[in-house]
Amino acid sequence: MHLHKYEKIWLGFGVFALIVFLSVVGVSAFHQGHTPSGGHMTIDPENVRGTAPFDEPGVHQREDGSYEVVIIAKAFGYEPSEIQVPVGEEVTFTVTSEDVVHSFSIVETNVNMMVVPGQVNHKTHTFSEEGSYLIVCNEYCGSGHHFMSTEIEVIGQ
Amino acid sequence: MEKKNQPQPSLKGTFISVMAVGIFIVLMWVSIYLLYIARL
Repeated sequence: MHLHKYEKIWLGFGVFALIVFLSVVGVSAFHQGHTPSGGHMTIDPENVRGTAPFDEPGVHQREDGSYEVVIIAKAFGYEPSEIQVPVGEEVTFTVTSEDVVHSFSIVETNVNMMVVPGQVNHKTHTFSEEGSYLIVCNEYCGSGHHFMSTEIEVIGQ
Repeated sequence: MEKKNQPQPSLKGTFISVMAVGIFIVLMWVSIYLLYIARL
């Protein structure tokens, strides 16, 4: 098969780009331990409030000093509605839905995950600045979707 | 039947178009990746 000189160049460019992109994903997953936020834990969506840790939604401090925020997403809001976490500490958000598919996205951070009924999703984040952060649902969940938001207060220690 | 010594077609315009699309994709990818890194 004869290949034009230019064809060889752009095929090489494509193969090189593919190798770079896949390497970045591979290093991020296997070396830095980045995982998808879901797919690890399941829950009975009919009995969210009777299943730990969702029987006590809110901010909990773990034994190692980090924080866990347990949140139930529902049409059309998040429970608890007031969340306060300290700045500079590792905070893990543990979220599930008791009705339909929602999402949990903290604006201007990397926290942005699906909230699927029957699945428990996690995302760990360390806030480096104090302030009020907006949380929105970015997955269309019904007629009140555009009202579905809350705020998280990041306070100094 | 193909002739053996056909003149090479001019692929200059194709080459420029392909590279322009490729560079656009790479720039988008890199800018989103840098945004992700900045927010870690």
